[in-house]
Amino acid sequence: MASSSTAAPFRGNRGVGGIPAPLLSITSLCVSYGHIRALKGVSLEVNRGEIVVLIGANGAGKTTLLESVLGINAQVTGSVVFDGKSIRGRAADRNVRAGLCLVPEGRGVFASMSVLDNLLLGAHNNMRNVTAHLNRVYEWFPILRKRRDQVARTLSGGERQMLAIGRALMSAPRLIMVDEPSIGLAPIVVNDIFAILKKLNAEGYTILLSEQNAYKALQCAHRGYVMETGLVTLAGSSERLLNDPGVKAAYLGA
Amino acid sequence: MQVFIAQVINGLSTGSIYVLLVTGFNLLLLVAMIIHFSYPQVVVFSMYIAWLVMKYTGNSVVLGILAALGSSILLSLISAPLFQKVMKKRGEVDINTSMVLSMGIGMIITDVLSHAFNNGLPIAFPASLVGSAPVLRVGLISVTTGQVWSMGIGIVVVSLFFLLLYRTRAGRAFRAIAEDPSGARLVGIPLLRTGLYSYTLSGLLGGTIAVMFAMLLGYASPGLGEQVAHKVLAVSIIAGLGNLVGGLFVGLGLGILEALVQGYVSGSWSNAIAFVIMLIIILVKPKGLFGSKL
Ligand SMILES: Nc1ncnc2c1ncn2[C@@H]1O[C@H](COP(=O)(O)OP(=O)(O)O)[C@@H](O)[C@H]1O
Ligand SMILES: [Mg+2]
Repeated sequence: MASSSTAAPFRGNRGVGGIPAPLLSITSLCVSYGHIRALKGVSLEVNRGEIVVLIGANGAGKTTLLESVLGINAQVTGSVVFDGKSIRGRAADRNVRAGLCLVPEGRGVFASMSVLDNLLLGAHNNMRNVTAHLNRVYEWFPILRKRRDQVARTLSGGERQMLAIGRALMSAPRLIMVDEPSIGLAPIVVNDIFAILKKLNAEGYTILLSEQNAYKALQCAHRGYVMETGLVTLAGSSERLLNDPGVKAAYLGA
Repeated sequence: MQVFIAQVINGLSTGSIYVLLVTGFNLLLLVAMIIHFSYPQVVVFSMYIAWLVMKYTGNSVVLGILAALGSSILLSLISAPLFQKVMKKRGEVDINTSMVLSMGIGMIITDVLSHAFNNGLPIAFPASLVGSAPVLRVGLISVTTGQVWSMGIGIVVVSLFFLLLYRTRAGRAFRAIAEDPSGARLVGIPLLRTGLYSYTLSGLLGGTIAVMFAMLLGYASPGLGEQVAHKVLAVSIIAGLGNLVGGLFVGLGLGILEALVQGYVSGSWSNAIAFVIMLIIILVKPKGLFGSKL
């Protein structure tokens, strides 16, 4: 199938002793909105080639974390290192150019704009090889090629999610952050979306996911972090989290 | 019938000016997220600069036009950091602070024009710019150079503007910000920098309008900007705030309406009657004829 020309898997930046340094490494990240402290010292890592999931209830701070990494929130302390460089406080457009991207909660597609325009927006900061990227996205999502001249408002929920993921791929990302992709989608469609994420990962894309749908997300991911009110309370492999009694009780409805 | 045709031509040429003014106003509203209702004052200021430059260059039309474009872009860009500074919260239209700042800019311009130029008396543009004889005269219908230019430039500029909006990278970013500023930021579109493009573009547009206006009217006065600003604000609200296509129709509509009132009732009533009609429209359709984009 598609070659991995747009992804940059497992490349460069070896750490000490030849062990690859993490692609993303967050240490003691604190974020506030005025007086509200949304993140109170979060540390986590994402290695090249991994799918890592953040599990947490509404308000746990998942969106805040992803947006802060992207460079959206102003009141941020702690450290964010992407591909060996500190990026804390750097503006989102520069981070996107450097290979970070976010598929926002609720998709964030532009309803009044065409599918093609939505995709091209993803390439806003990286206009080189646009045609090649576009064709790759159409290979991944043939439905988007079919609907390219329709306005996004006419798409179904699942198609919008594909559009949002396709738009992210247009920026030639090295880390794709996906904020609650399953929210508001029918269960079958949710399965499709997770299958796509797994396939993207198999192609070499590194993915940081946030989810409330813990069971399916953990089946898809290699590792996970459990977040509660701005803190990481548990971390481990997906298997371990799936079998953890606390996780079972709180997130798996067992 | 001849009166009707003559007045429609008059209306279309003034309407072109309203259309471009509303377009610049809406662009700033949608992309820079400010309510700049003193935008017409900026345009009139540029007319004065053009007049001044022509006065000292032996009525050079080229230099006059360049002066209008340059001063309008410059003024727009100078005001940009001010607007961006007073807007505490990026990501949504901050109507109050931007409106106060815009009002201030408008009042300063009006005052400067009424003290620093021509003793506050209206200025007249030279024949080299305005043209002296009508280009066409059939019975009661006479078409001036300024009218031809105004309609011609209007059509060209509006077409170019929509091409830019729908066919370029910057235009795409403009539309994304117009629809959802925080969503645009999440895909990595820099709001402030893209906002600056819209200031530049509205400045360029404003300079063009200044030239058209000078050719059409042949004169300008310190109060002209304020007078037009009321109409532009009304047109944008009647059309639907931020509705670019609506602005085209309502802008031309107002021009024609005013001209017809002038032709059939009386010139001195044209403002009042136009505003009464617009008042009725806004009572019936509070979100504007074409729907607000905000
Ligand atoms: N723009 C904002 N202004 C103020 N508080 C916010 C804002 N966004 C999020 N919060 C608060 O920050 C906390 C974390 O929210 P969020 O990151 O959205 O959590 P999650 O994505 O896990 O549901 C919540 O208490 C929420 O109310
Ligand atoms: Mg969230």
